[in-house]
Amino acid sequence: MNTQVLLENLGIRCERLKVKGNTVPRYMCHVDSESIESIIEKLKSAGFKHFVALTCVDWIKDGEFELLYHLFSYESREDVFLSVRIPRDAPIMKTLRHLFPQIETYEREIHEMFGVEFEGNDRLGEFILEDWDDMPPMRKDFDTEEYAKRKYYSVPLVDEGDGK
Amino acid sequence: MNAEDWKKIQRMMSKRSLWMVHFCTGCGAVEMPPVMTSRYDMERFGMGPMATPRQADILLITGYLAVKTLKRVVRVYEQMQDPKYVIAFGSCTMNGGMYWDSYNTVKRVDKYIPVDLYIAGCMPRPEAIMDAFLKLMKMIEEGKADGWKRYKEHYEEYRRNQMRVFRRWDE
Repeated sequence: MNTQVLLENLGIRCERLKVKGNTVPRYMCHVDSESIESIIEKLKSAGFKHFVALTCVDWIKDGEFELLYHLFSYESREDVFLSVRIPRDAPIMKTLRHLFPQIETYEREIHEMFGVEFEGNDRLGEFILEDWDDMPPMRKDFDTEEYAKRKYYSVPLVDEGDGK
Repeated sequence: MNAEDWKKIQRMMSKRSLWMVHFCTGCGAVEMPPVMTSRYDMERFGMGPMATPRQADILLITGYLAVKTLKRVVRVYEQMQDPKYVIAFGSCTMNGGMYWDSYNTVKRVDKYIPVDLYIAGCMPRPEAIMDAFLKLMKMIEEGKADGWKRYKEHYEEYRRNQMRVFRRWDE
């Protein structure tokens, strides 16, 4: 089945992205956090068997996080991006690791870097960062230069006297 | 012969038999294969690569250190036997380099472990690395490569600096 028709049948609002040098269409779909699970299930059974990535974007002016689920079909060679917006002050999303096991790793990373809570994922602990002591560093309101100055530049050199 | 003369002979001998463990953290690791193999061939100086820190003399840190990596570097360094030397490689180890404002890389390595020699550049060419090896050999012969002694003398201060960036130290 044509992907455009499939997405329309699912009742998903989507747009075709124009990518320079890419003849195969890519679809950007806006879905809500309740229906994402069933949509990914349906897309998976319709040939979108490759989960490419899960990324997060901090739209600080809108007060929202955008989660992008990226799926790919080997049959039609098309990409589908499913965009979910969740509120920034209560970033909670249910885990989807039962659909594709690799989602767990992406959820762990996004939990650490953006502070999004994935309900049902029990491995959201310390992951890439170690000994982290501040707000999630990929949030737009995190001041990395100020943090670096406070944490690293303030460490004094070891005083070894006359350079011996 | 007195003890100081024996030490001189010992240093003269040991500078010609250096084994290096290279802690390849950053992009600098790519410069090491030509240094080690026939293109530049560090073996003509009596140097060889070593896989384990306990049998190595030189710790070569090739690039930026994240907090997580620094913890591993400290562990590797403390496992090495005396005398041991540290060469820090590339501008990232001096002042952070292009990661100067990064939230997760320590900027100056010698705040946390004693560094005997820095190699400047981003990246240093193999010639610079060879030059550093020769300088280190000279320093060893003259007894100036004394980072391992300084680490012992100022252990509390180094440990205090390390614990300013680590939140915990699991033994």
